[in-house]
Amino acid sequence: MPSWPALVSQAFNGLALGSLLALVSSGLTIILGTLGVLNFAHGALFAVGAYAAFVMLQYTSSFVLALVAGCGVMLLLGILLERLIVRLFYDRPDEDQILVTYGIGIVLVECLRAAFGGNAQRVAVPSWGRGATKLGFLIYPTYRLQLIAIIAMLLLGLYLVLYRTAMGLVVRAGIENPLMVGILGINIRRAFLVVFAIGVVAVGLAGMLYAPVVAVTPDMGANFMAQSFVVIVLGGLGSFSGAVVGGLIAGEIISLTSAFNSSYSDVMLYALMALLLVLRPQGLFGSEGRV
Amino acid sequence: MSLLEVDRINTLYGDSHVLFDLSLRVEEGEVVALLGRNGAGKTTTLRSIMGVLAPRSGQIRLDGKEIGGLPPSAIAGLGVQLVPEERAIFAGLTVEENLRVAALTAPNAWPLARIYRMFPRLEQRRKAAGRTLSGGEQQMLAIARALIRDARIILLDEPFEGLAPLIVRDLVEVARSLAADGRTMIVVEQNVAAALSFANRVYGLNNGHVVFEGTPADLAAAPHLMRDFLGVGL
Amino acid sequence: MNAVRPRWLRACVSEFAVLATLVAAPVLLARIGFSVDLLTRVLNWGLIGLGFDILFGLTGLLSFGQAAFFGVGGFVAAYLLVSGTLASVWLALAAGTVAAGLCGVVVGWLAVRRIGIYFTMITLAFGQMAYFIENSPLSKYTGGENGLPGVPVPVLGLGPNAVRIGAGLPMYLLFATIFFVGYVLARRIVGSPVGAVLRAIRQNTGRVAMLGHNVAAYKLAAFVIAALYAGLAGGLLGSFQSYMPPDAFSLETSGQLVVQTIVGGAGTLIGPLVGAAVWLWLRDNLQLVPGLAALWKLVLGIAFIVLVIGLRRGICGEIIHALNERRNRAAANAAAARTAVIEAAGGVAAIAPARQAVDVTLPLPPAATGTCEIALEARSLSRYYGGLKAVDGVSFKVRRGAIHAVIGPNGAGKSTLFKMLLDEVSPSSGEVLLFGDRLTGAGVSRAAQRGIAKSNQLNQLFPNLSLRENLRVAALARCRGPLRLDLWRAADSLPEVERQVDAILALLDLAPRADTPVHILAYGEKRRLEIGMALATSPNVLLLDEPLAGMSPLERAATCGFIRDIARGRTIVIVEHDLDAIFGLAERITVLYEGRLLADGAPDEIRRNAAVQDAYLGGLHADEPA
Repeated sequence: MPSWPALVSQAFNGLALGSLLALVSSGLTIILGTLGVLNFAHGALFAVGAYAAFVMLQYTSSFVLALVAGCGVMLLLGILLERLIVRLFYDRPDEDQILVTYGIGIVLVECLRAAFGGNAQRVAVPSWGRGATKLGFLIYPTYRLQLIAIIAMLLLGLYLVLYRTAMGLVVRAGIENPLMVGILGINIRRAFLVVFAIGVVAVGLAGMLYAPVVAVTPDMGANFMAQSFVVIVLGGLGSFSGAVVGGLIAGEIISLTSAFNSSYSDVMLYALMALLLVLRPQGLFGSEGRV
Repeated sequence: MSLLEVDRINTLYGDSHVLFDLSLRVEEGEVVALLGRNGAGKTTTLRSIMGVLAPRSGQIRLDGKEIGGLPPSAIAGLGVQLVPEERAIFAGLTVEENLRVAALTAPNAWPLARIYRMFPRLEQRRKAAGRTLSGGEQQMLAIARALIRDARIILLDEPFEGLAPLIVRDLVEVARSLAADGRTMIVVEQNVAAALSFANRVYGLNNGHVVFEGTPADLAAAPHLMRDFLGVGL
Repeated sequence: MNAVRPRWLRACVSEFAVLATLVAAPVLLARIGFSVDLLTRVLNWGLIGLGFDILFGLTGLLSFGQAAFFGVGGFVAAYLLVSGTLASVWLALAAGTVAAGLCGVVVGWLAVRRIGIYFTMITLAFGQMAYFIENSPLSKYTGGENGLPGVPVPVLGLGPNAVRIGAGLPMYLLFATIFFVGYVLARRIVGSPVGAVLRAIRQNTGRVAMLGHNVAAYKLAAFVIAALYAGLAGGLLGSFQSYMPPDAFSLETSGQLVVQTIVGGAGTLIGPLVGAAVWLWLRDNLQLVPGLAALWKLVLGIAFIVLVIGLRRGICGEIIHALNERRNRAAANAAAARTAVIEAAGGVAAIAPARQAVDVTLPLPPAATGTCEIALEARSLSRYYGGLKAVDGVSFKVRRGAIHAVIGPNGAGKSTLFKMLLDEVSPSSGEVLLFGDRLTGAGVSRAAQRGIAKSNQLNQLFPNLSLRENLRVAALARCRGPLRLDLWRAADSLPEVERQVDAILALLDLAPRADTPVHILAYGEKRRLEIGMALATSPNVLLLDEPLAGMSPLERAATCGFIRDIARGRTIVIVEHDLDAIFGLAERITVLYEGRLLADGAPDEIRRNAAVQDAYLGGLHADEPA
């Protein structure tokens, strides 16, 4: 039985990991819900984000500036990928969409490997995030607390876009009934580009924010992508709130399990997915038969 | 030149040939009723006009210009609006959000206030999610979505289906006042009485063909006609 | 054109070609950069690919988790050998394969309950789970990150004269032999009735279930076959390398299998082998080019994307497709021309005007029915969707041998009712009885096995199979029951099934078109086939959902005659909008209105029933508008 401070520390880790997963998964889920595409390049895009931060930080010492510049890179990449490749697959069967995005993922990772080598790179924790903070009896790394706060703001921003803007209205209606949206005079294909770009920027930001915590390698995103699949099943395919809640739950499951027995932490998450798929495939917030 | 001309269209559903050289016309300000048993092709006709199903051959002209083959969003931009049989209310959006989505790309969108004057019930339920609305409220919302776009032609697919008689009566009133305002409409209905109460002209469809064209008075004068293409056989 | 060569020779062309390639490869391919060791690895991937192609290429289930079974097979075999539990490598390989198969049963049972991207996500999740289990909890057995070194090679023979299969050519010969045997077996599976069912599942899963096959069980069978092949390959890898690597379990490995299969061509069985050759050759040979060393995978990734966009069938797939096109072009053109003629003539060119009374007893006997006089009974059937009452307390009886029609205006609930009669949809309350026994809750497949079949309003056919193959899938369900794993016989080797198919073809007047792919047929022919599919299951009760939809007047008349023919000895229930046809055909009519039963009786009674007239005319006689 782990000690109380260890448990609380892991609970915070779970919050940090969970926030990251929430951000990664919300991008994945709105792409899936709106475009109907399960983006198998999501993990690679996470790594691209981390490397973008790495590169930008060589030109500026301001972490925030690097983030903004990195977002610009992800935006451009998202637009290019959608216009050049993904767009060709909206009417093609699901498996083809999975295959082409998987291919895009391979190409992106190999480009990273070619440009930066396979060895781990280090991204420094920003100056305002160094050190640890005292929380009652617990001493916890400051940057991770800030991570949680930053991601919370980003998710709030995403929520505002989805629920307070005209574009968000179109996206939410389009997730339900794209045909009717067309009948009401809206060219939903144009919205697809925006949604895909948002999803790519979201996962890239997650990579950028995660970079100071861990070693940056071209393959770093693969496990996150696999975990985000579990999250969107848990939360319900296409559901933004599901992705957020699901991400937090998943993060806690992984972290708290590792407090007891670190070798089972990842296994627990996938076992949960298996259970869900048998008992309640629509997840927490999804509707049966949507996909 | 009529506002809308459907000129010998053949439409397939999958590979099922549903419409055979079907022609009809709608003048500006007119209400045209499409009657016939289900399977006759009434819904397919409306969907062909809206661009949801592209006709295999034939032409559809709006103001003399060919619109067949255009995507629904383009045809909506030209002022045609379909109120589908299943209503297609966005369940997760509120009543007001449903209306706002509809108004997004309409150049002469009605102000919300005007819609609420016409449908006070919708104003009462403005914050309610689409999935919580009753059948009658959903139908009102579906019609309101077409109105807020200030559509030139409204295509109503079975607007009174599955509704209680009192609600049907209210909706018929709405339809009559829209007709009196000079709004052009095509109404597909199985409730013949309701449709004929505000239609100017009637087309009867059977097995994908037009088998009757005339006024409600013509139909009333020849009840055997209606038995033929609507009723239960001789 | 091929009449001169005996059939068995024609059928074995592929096997001979593969054998020849395997024999020649070490010699011929050595010059272009394929070392014997490289070829051995290629064969290993090809072996996994045989099973994977049956799962993905044939059945259409995309799994991103095959590495789990590859790893299980490899590590179980390796552990048994390294720990000294087993001395014989052959036994260890067998044990590893069986272990992988068992895992396949467990994972497959969970995975095949879902379709499409859910299925792919589940397999990916289990692959990851296996990877992490290997890495940590079981690292005592698996060596964790380090893997298991010291795996011995197999030994031929016993005692002092036993021959160790050493590295190089002997190992290649071992792998080649096993691959060839695996290929022959896979070919037989693909050509078996099981293969025919799997192929049909890929094209129209719902229809396969409606014909009476246990779709989940067949999918599970395909999944386990793929797991077995992967497990065997895993065990062999351990021997080959004398070491079992942990990345056997990784997502990378599963992904590599998928990419190789697409590159080489899914659905060809040898596609994964060819794809592996491309992958491994690029990896080994591009490494040697200065400046390109690290880019081989990038090149591969770009090629993969290009293939998925434009050459979806892959290398072998495109070649085979081009060859088939050329061979079949004449036949395909003739078939298409015939279709055009039929459609121009109003669809009935093939039906003779005066039909003799046709004997409609089918070769395959129908399900046993007992002596109940009521073939089908609905008792207080209701179906609610939220607040909407689609069907509300409907009860009626269909007498054995009758032609019974269900009519009603739009929104009356006819299609929902029909689906409940077949147990395609569960009622909210009430039940359906088939010859006195409760049918509700049995599911469509079991319903079909009990002798009730439906012809759908929208054609549910297998478009890329020929007419004959379509009917065969239906007849196989009647002949073999919901599940039979007859993997080794040919799909067309059951004489009762072939007689059934021929009988239906004669009945439908479609015998001359038997080998035409269904997507080329005229609409009227497809509608007839749709009825024929239901008929091929030798049903006692046949439900026809708008059989006349989209037909020309000539076709309608012919189809009505056809329905009268098949009604002899069977009970028919029809939903139709063409009331003129119904009144000529039905012996009894049930009228639905707004989900409730409005009337039920003989055609004359219904015609005279004022309430029915009202319903259709929308209450014209009721409240006249002011």
